[in-house]
Amino acid sequence: MLIADKFLRIGPEHYLALSAILFSFGMIAVMMRKNVIVMLMGIELMLNAVNLSFVVFARETGALNGQIMVFFVMTIAAAEAGVGLALAVAIYKKFKELNIRHFEKLKG
Amino acid sequence: MGSDIFEIGVNFIKMVLIFVMMVQLVPLLVWVERRGSAYIQNRFGPNRVGPLGLTQLLADAVKFLTKEDFMPERGYRFLFLAAPVVALIPAALAFGAIPLSHPIFVEPFEWLGQTWGPYQFDFQSYKIGIGIVFVLAVSSLAAYSLMLAGYASNNKYSLYGALRASAQTISYELAMGLSIVGILLLFNTFDFSEMIRLQSGPLSFHVLGTVYTFDFLPNWGIFYQPLGAILLLAAMFAETNRLPFDLPEAEAELVAGYHTEYGGIKMNMFYIGEYGHMLVASGLMVTFYFGGYTLYPFLTPGTVSSWFAGSTPTMTSVWTSLILHVVFLTKVLLFLWLFIWVRWSLPRFRYDQLMDLGWKTMLPWALGNTIVTAIVIFIMRTSW
Amino acid sequence: MIYEAISFYALALFLTFFAYKTISATNPIHSALYLVLTMLGLGAVFFSLGAHFIAGVQVIVYAGAVMVLFVMVLMLFDLKSELQAFSKGMLSGFLKVFSAAALAGVAIGVISHSVQVVDGASWGVGDPNADVTKYLSILLYTNYLFAFEVLGVLLLVVAIGAVALSRMKGGTHADRR
Repeated sequence: MLIADKFLRIGPEHYLALSAILFSFGMIAVMMRKNVIVMLMGIELMLNAVNLSFVVFARETGALNGQIMVFFVMTIAAAEAGVGLALAVAIYKKFKELNIRHFEKLKG
Repeated sequence: MGSDIFEIGVNFIKMVLIFVMMVQLVPLLVWVERRGSAYIQNRFGPNRVGPLGLTQLLADAVKFLTKEDFMPERGYRFLFLAAPVVALIPAALAFGAIPLSHPIFVEPFEWLGQTWGPYQFDFQSYKIGIGIVFVLAVSSLAAYSLMLAGYASNNKYSLYGALRASAQTISYELAMGLSIVGILLLFNTFDFSEMIRLQSGPLSFHVLGTVYTFDFLPNWGIFYQPLGAILLLAAMFAETNRLPFDLPEAEAELVAGYHTEYGGIKMNMFYIGEYGHMLVASGLMVTFYFGGYTLYPFLTPGTVSSWFAGSTPTMTSVWTSLILHVVFLTKVLLFLWLFIWVRWSLPRFRYDQLMDLGWKTMLPWALGNTIVTAIVIFIMRTSW
Repeated sequence: MIYEAISFYALALFLTFFAYKTISATNPIHSALYLVLTMLGLGAVFFSLGAHFIAGVQVIVYAGAVMVLFVMVLMLFDLKSELQAFSKGMLSGFLKVFSAAALAGVAIGVISHSVQVVDGASWGVGDPNADVTKYLSILLYTNYLFAFEVLGVLLLVVAIGAVALSRMKGGTHADRR
């Protein structure tokens, strides 16, 4: 009975667990994939998971500062995506491939 | 969605009816477009099938349904089939959030040996407090259907068309979003119903603590934000991929865009999406700048309900809503006619001209409009 | 209570499934499309948490702008399924997955053991009709005004940087001028 109650009474901890799972998926994408753009997508997924936990904490504390942080995270994510995609385009123009191993040849 | 079975049922039927209304306006609009273009170009247009050629639409529907259902051999089957469906979703979702008329108030009544009510049924599919943000959000998803169609066709002309179309859509989204900031600042709300309520009175504004009222003019947004209205209208033309911004199609000088490989009913669904977008655009224009379903000083919720002084409150409310809905539909149809009129009057832009217009002309003007509006409102509403 | 549980688990299933598909699809475009669905699902979660405005912004910014950009760039390159989408090496791959799973496990464990700490009294008490958007904007333009301005400057710098990167004559494609 207690176990069922724990699963059925949705509280902040459920959302935080979901956020942790999504974050680890993003982390796996960044570590395992070789395509630069898919790695960027992994970073976006991680940032989204963090946003989720911010919103949960904003609701849990009753203050809206967490939602403000989500704004900032979103803006920074958009900026990061812009620069990352520009870098990816630069890599693709040079090597005709989007493999992360080409990043080390970009210096100079 | 509702507190008891009656309210839930009515709300559900209402949602279905509004969606069907949107879909059913499409063949009518196609007819208006074809006859209208013929009228503008001094031709006859479809006039053989039925009175005024009205049943031509039925014949077209049969033709679309019975066409061969082909598919590019090496395309992505699921995405290819999903793209036309995705084209329908943004327009249908966005149209549901626009209030089409005054809410209907139902007094408590006896039915099946039980007391029901009182109810308030909004004349829209669902009421969302952040209505404008919702509409912007779902209509920003429209780019996906273009990209899916172009990508899944496995055809380089489709792909180029899709890139053209989606670049255009996201470029003009910025100008569209910025051009309505002025009206948001003015009415101080995200809620469509509240915005229409504020526009249902006489034109009146504060200047440095004094209130000026003009009894003969309605309090419409167009009188405060003419530039914003023009920018929004132009951006809407671009968002709906209509002429003079219909580079995605451009069947005359470029190969037709993302829908090159589509035919039959799938093609038709893209059309329904496009006309649905036009409907949403017209609805937004009417709601933001032309008073929504009210027409001060003749047709406002107050004046119309005073015509039915003798009947019960419920019937008064129902008739008021229906009459105001006709007002809304008339305004929307005028805008739809404007879309068609412009399509058959203006030539198409070149692609670099289109991008220049979006980024170098409309975006700065929209920004300037926002800043000037903010400053003027700050000065006017402050009691110095 | 039961409806909240059903909606939460449905959304959680949706999110984890599409997040998994995002990282496992070998075609980058499919990956991006699955990520779009994940973002939309997160928007729904935000909406169910009462953060309506944030949900709208999530859909506009992520699904409507950032991911459109991703998909457009991927389409521009016309990438097909990749032959080697994942990094090589069984041991290192196992270690990577294991470390991510361990992180998630530790996080969930900590969360589930801190229920008494986390489970605030105000959870679910919040007024559904409160004008969250208004208070959000007041907060943004008073307490966080400086951060807001700095973000504006950051965006300007990023815009210039992205244009410079993609039009650069030297640097990455100096030899192909």
